Amino acid sequence: MASKKTPQDQLNSEQPHPEQPQKKSLTRRRFLQVGGIVLGGAMIAIYPGRVPMRRAAAQTVENLDFPASISSYRPDFWFEVLPDNTIVLKSPKVEMGQGIFTGYAMLAAEELEVPLSQIKVEHAATSTGVIDSLGTGGSTSTSSMFTPIREVAATMREMLKTAAAKEWGVDVSAVTASNGSITSGSRTITYADIAQKTKQWDIPKTPALKPASAFKYVGKDTKRVDLKPKVMGKPLFGIDQTMPSMLHAVIVESPYIDGTIKTIKTQEAEKMQGVERVIRDGEFVAVVAKSRYAAETAARAIEIEWNVPKKWQQTDIESIVTVGKGTEVEVQNEGSAKSIIEKNSDGVFKQEYRTPLGAHAQMEPNGSIAHVEKDKATIVIGTQAPSLIRDQVAKALGIDTEKVEVRTAYLGGGFGRRYAKMNAADAAKISKIVGKPVSVFNTREQEFQNSMYRPNTHHVLQAKITSDGSIEAITHDQATPDMIIEGMAGELGMTVFGADFISAGHGASIIYNTTNRAATLWHNKLPFTTGIWRGVGIFANTFAIESFINELAHKLGKDPIALRLELVAGNEKINKRYIKTLETLAEKSAWKLPKTHGTGRGMALANDRKTIAAAAVEVIVTDGVIRVHKVTHVLDVGIAVNPEGIRMQMEGCVMMGISASLYEGLQVKDGQIGASNFHEYPVATLRDAPEIQTFILEGDDVPYGVGEPPIAPIAPAIAAAVFDATGVMPRSLPLKVA
Amino acid sequence: MNINFTINGTKTSVDVDPAMPLLWVVRDELGLKGTKYGCGKALCGACTLHVDGEATRSCSYPVSEAAGKNITTLEGLSPSEEKLHPIQQAWIDEQVPQCGYCQPGFMMAAAKLIKDIPNPTDDDITANISNICRCGTQPRIIKAIKRAAEIQRTSSATL
Repeated sequence: MASKKTPQDQLNSEQPHPEQPQKKSLTRRRFLQVGGIVLGGAMIAIYPGRVPMRRAAAQTVENLDFPASISSYRPDFWFEVLPDNTIVLKSPKVEMGQGIFTGYAMLAAEELEVPLSQIKVEHAATSTGVIDSLGTGGSTSTSSMFTPIREVAATMREMLKTAAAKEWGVDVSAVTASNGSITSGSRTITYADIAQKTKQWDIPKTPALKPASAFKYVGKDTKRVDLKPKVMGKPLFGIDQTMPSMLHAVIVESPYIDGTIKTIKTQEAEKMQGVERVIRDGEFVAVVAKSRYAAETAARAIEIEWNVPKKWQQTDIESIVTVGKGTEVEVQNEGSAKSIIEKNSDGVFKQEYRTPLGAHAQMEPNGSIAHVEKDKATIVIGTQAPSLIRDQVAKALGIDTEKVEVRTAYLGGGFGRRYAKMNAADAAKISKIVGKPVSVFNTREQEFQNSMYRPNTHHVLQAKITSDGSIEAITHDQATPDMIIEGMAGELGMTVFGADFISAGHGASIIYNTTNRAATLWHNKLPFTTGIWRGVGIFANTFAIESFINELAHKLGKDPIALRLELVAGNEKINKRYIKTLETLAEKSAWKLPKTHGTGRGMALANDRKTIAAAAVEVIVTDGVIRVHKVTHVLDVGIAVNPEGIRMQMEGCVMMGISASLYEGLQVKDGQIGASNFHEYPVATLRDAPEIQTFILEGDDVPYGVGEPPIAPIAPAIAAAVFDATGVMPRSLPLKVA
Repeated sequence: MNINFTINGTKTSVDVDPAMPLLWVVRDELGLKGTKYGCGKALCGACTLHVDGEATRSCSYPVSEAAGKNITTLEGLSPSEEKLHPIQQAWIDEQVPQCGYCQPGFMMAAAKLIKDIPNPTDDDITANISNICRCGTQPRIIKAIKRAAEIQRTSSATL
């Protein structure tokens, strides 16, 4: 805890195990139990009841508060007091632009009794800080840490108070902590000074936390703690980091799916200026050079003829991802939805929707710096999952995980991309071969063609409408390739789970109060990695379901907000939250007033793990070109820790949602991912920025996620607005007006 | 081959392949990491810096072209850490950066824009800057450019 050394040894030998925050431990156990149902010994016993078991597992996951999986709650792992009284908070979650360092500084400052400016947040390194083995994603960084950070900070404050009381020979009740100092009567000492003086720490039981009414920072618009270094161009990102004697490498990868080397000529490359060596180990080819420029230039000079086992085409990819193909997993089945739909096939309203493969195209390409010495490795990387990187590198080098130190740099965008297909293990292999630190960063072409992708999806929605115009049953079938679940549960788990309802299938269930409702996932494998993308499952499923609800409203001659208000009616808290969100959206978007001539209007609603998001958009369609000119966005977030930070996330989701709705989609062509750079994968730019109004609704319990939920309603709201403007309903992304 | 130029007010000489893009010279030879690699094809604008006052996408600009010229990177945009360029001040005031990776390129493009067009409209901004941001900061970038123009006008009026 003191700056010079961390008195962990004394803690270990002289103190009983510190009190762990009970609530979080329980939450974590609950999570493990969910896994236990599936992966533990009970698996064989429940196997015959696979369909209901899968449904139960899917529903449990859908409603789960994803807890953090934190290695320690001991304050000395979390905080360091510097001699100038700065308190360093070592964050177990990474900063990828979502503003989490600011939120954590606010939460810590509440209980530490220090001004916000006195807290400096850094990434925890795997060897010295707390590790969250779940990584940073799923819009959980604030919700999972809201209580733990304050508890650890409060514990830390009490430790400092106890130490000062001991120093002065008074009872701890006679000292107070405020403004970074401890006071008793006329005596006062800074946190830094008492930390320096203290050799032996007492860790108290977790103190009671401040009530919300006493919050100084939480709930107030707070400027990001990293604004200044970011506008000054400081070297914050992974690609900016260097090590002494560092070399640069570029890995040569097949531009073809499953391509292997038929012939290779490296002689030219080896002779080029600055090139140290060309590494060839089976299919692994890398150029190591004195500079990135030399490495990249030489990599281009390597001539390779590729064996391409199959020339995959877009039609193959779409055919694999089609409802009715692959493993069927029921995630929702209430009433007799399926039989009602089957029996009334003539009178059923049915539509199909598709979303394409997507690229993350985060602005900083993936890469890492590795330095392998004798039996240890140091990795510097911008990643969403440092503990995963540590494990991958240890495995690649055949050393213990404790011998791998992962230091996280700021991420130049994440969006899920930095959970998979990262190259730290390859960088470590190269560093081991050349015996020096090596920086290995993707070219933009690799970032498009040798990457992981947002999975494409296919959706079939069906509804039975009664003669009086009410909805008797809705079913939703979603086809999607797998994502993270395979990594988590392995092939065996996959056999039991059947499909990826945690991420790709997330949001497939019908949220509306129809007595008969069902959702089914159809899982299949694609020949390349698909994975997390900002709000991946909720993005695709909300596009399909909400487009369908909008089409139903049109068919029934009802206003889309009025229909939804009918479908969310009820007295439970969740019903009230839906109603308030919809009513706020109607009011703020002036929904009941006539629309502006020449525009189209549309809206959509979503519930993404407790956060409710609703958006209304106005579009203008001119000569087949869709332009979104206004977006009203309402988000019910529970407790809003930093409202300004939430607005930034909402605006970000509006822009990424517009980009995905109007422009983005990867096509597979002749065995390749059919985009190699931004000229073939257009994204939203300044000219696409609409007028955006954001409204935050607050609850009084806990914060919910805000990084992904706001993207969910954007695409279906734009699709509905295009239909309103043109009479043509686009049912696949990117939206086109024929 | 030795190539001489001035960067952020300092005369510099580098001995590199004349075809080497200015981006990599600035980042790896001179250690100025504020200028970013994004696409390598002058498509995204992350590598934008100024060459003799012109906004230039340095990933596709051979260093040989820079001989004898004046180069400014984000690190040289403001006179000091305390006295910020109007663009940097506006970026803080409007709280533009999220991940922040693309922002140096945007700021350099925007600094040039408000020099040429001291009171830019939305159309001036969107027609002249085609850089890419994936966090979705575009609405705040537009606001910040207008605010920077205002700061620039106010400060030049007081001079």
